[in-house]
Amino acid sequence: MSHAPRPAQSYWHAVLRVFDMSLGQMIWSKRTVFMVLATGAPVAIGMLLRGIHEIGMSSFRVNGMPVPGPVIFGGMIWILYLRFVVPVLGAFYGTSLMSDEVEDKTITYLFTRPVPRGSIILGKYLAYLACTALVVLPSVTAVYLLIAPVGGGSIGATFPQLLADLGLLAVGLAVYGAVFALIGALVPRPLVAGLMLVFGWEQVALLVPGYLRRLTVAHYLQALVPHSMPQDDTVTAIQSLFSEPPSIASSLLSLAVILVVSLWLAARTVERREYILQQ
Amino acid sequence: MMSDERSGAVGPHERVAGAGRGAPATEEVIAVDQLSKWYGQVIGLNDVTLTIGPGVTGLLGPNGAGKSTLLKLVTGQLKPSKGTIRILGEPVWGNPALFRRVGLCPEQDAFYDRMTGHEWVTALLRLHGYGEREAADTAMGALEQVDLQDAAHKRIGAYSKGMRQRVKLAQALAHEPELLVLDEPLSGLDPLARRKTIRLLRSWATLGRNVIVSSHILHEVEALTSNILLMHHGRVLAEGNVHQIRDLIDEHPHTVCLRSKHPRALATALVGNEDVLSLRFEEDALFVQTARPDAFYARVTEMAAINGAGEIYEITSPDDNLQAVFEYLVK
Repeated sequence: MSHAPRPAQSYWHAVLRVFDMSLGQMIWSKRTVFMVLATGAPVAIGMLLRGIHEIGMSSFRVNGMPVPGPVIFGGMIWILYLRFVVPVLGAFYGTSLMSDEVEDKTITYLFTRPVPRGSIILGKYLAYLACTALVVLPSVTAVYLLIAPVGGGSIGATFPQLLADLGLLAVGLAVYGAVFALIGALVPRPLVAGLMLVFGWEQVALLVPGYLRRLTVAHYLQALVPHSMPQDDTVTAIQSLFSEPPSIASSLLSLAVILVVSLWLAARTVERREYILQQ
Repeated sequence: MMSDERSGAVGPHERVAGAGRGAPATEEVIAVDQLSKWYGQVIGLNDVTLTIGPGVTGLLGPNGAGKSTLLKLVTGQLKPSKGTIRILGEPVWGNPALFRRVGLCPEQDAFYDRMTGHEWVTALLRLHGYGEREAADTAMGALEQVDLQDAAHKRIGAYSKGMRQRVKLAQALAHEPELLVLDEPLSGLDPLARRKTIRLLRSWATLGRNVIVSSHILHEVEALTSNILLMHHGRVLAEGNVHQIRDLIDEHPHTVCLRSKHPRALATALVGNEDVLSLRFEEDALFVQTARPDAFYARVTEMAAINGAGEIYEITSPDDNLQAVFEYLVK
């Protein structure tokens, strides 16, 4: 058996190879159970609401006024997806891109291949994005199909809004994933740091008047939401009080900068950092 | 002759000439210069300078000797704290292209357990730039080399320890590297698989490829090669041919075991001779430590010939096996 020497691969070719290898691993990982639960819960809620509506037990009312399905759907996008599912999935998957390989000691097999180390995290990041988008976006679509027709809502009229929501959540998964990939490449216990970022920094910084909120992903994502923010609790009320949402264009630009810089730093960190496996 | 600083009571890292080393620079497979690696306050490797030439080289030492650290440095998994490494004439750290020429079978029992052996080796070959079909065929060929073709489509998670060891070996050699780096490759293999693996690695070397293999079990390495590096406490104690290392340690105290019906009479005849350092009894055996083994053997042969201190029915030297060589050097 003799093989001709392999030609050098381009950086992006290496990224795609790592993506190929990682996607299946990610889909069948234990985290997928959590992801299915996280994205399945809104669908279950949607089914419940639809069921209630279908049997005519009650209509959805706020202050005695019936609430159409698209408004309920908008609230679910805010409360369930934007505040919980997207950042938490980003934290769970993004921080694990490198740390799982290091903890499982399988990183050795990747680091001793003729691919740039940076391409490894980028390939795994793309696998994360595909994996989460494949689960989150159908979940959102299912919720929409269940909820939108309720209370006189029209699927046809609100379909563009669904597309905007899907785009928004895809952007959210991409940006949060990039930020958490960087955290995963940098710190030893990245999940803890990631969750602190989601439930600590992102929440607190949004409440503080001034420029601090510009250092959060949520600030820019919220500006993209096509629905009005539900006044579901005190925190939200305070947030809306100080809310000075940036324009959609500047939000998209800011999110693109966060994404590119985070991924670049993550790749650079993996290129340069020495990962010492525990004996 | 290369030298290194002394480590404990062992003596310098001594290089034995004529052991397949000292090859011209173009034939240097691994060249390490003043290499050190610290893990915080802990020294993993301490100021090691060596060159490894073509063929099979064994890396021997107890757990914690620095073998794995050296191999991790050699395969670019760790960055040197000090010093330089060149593999096949190229620097290692930050040079992924080098891994087209290097294969590694790591020590750790770590896998993507949900993948089958074939899927795993194929996926790793794809990282080398192999096309899908070619990678699949090459992976199967590698699995056949390690006798795993029948289990190729089983999940690695269902493999036995020996099978896992063999699939690790398959991924290391599948792309036919010029240098194969094996960290404890025979660990967990049954005797038959061990014999086949040793045969495979030997045949690999006869094809002009290079193998560096680490182990803390001396007879494993002895079965693979007579070219060895002895490591202890992060230093290379000695390197060269097993037999020449034995000559080297002949300069150190040497133990001979004499079995006789009258060991005490034998001891009486030997005590006081200048070549005898110490004596001790163990049942019917007399263990003699000598600093001049040649002179001592000559004296014992003479005594046995004239039956001067009773019949000596067995003379053995623990130095006849590699374990003793190793023990001598690390004491």
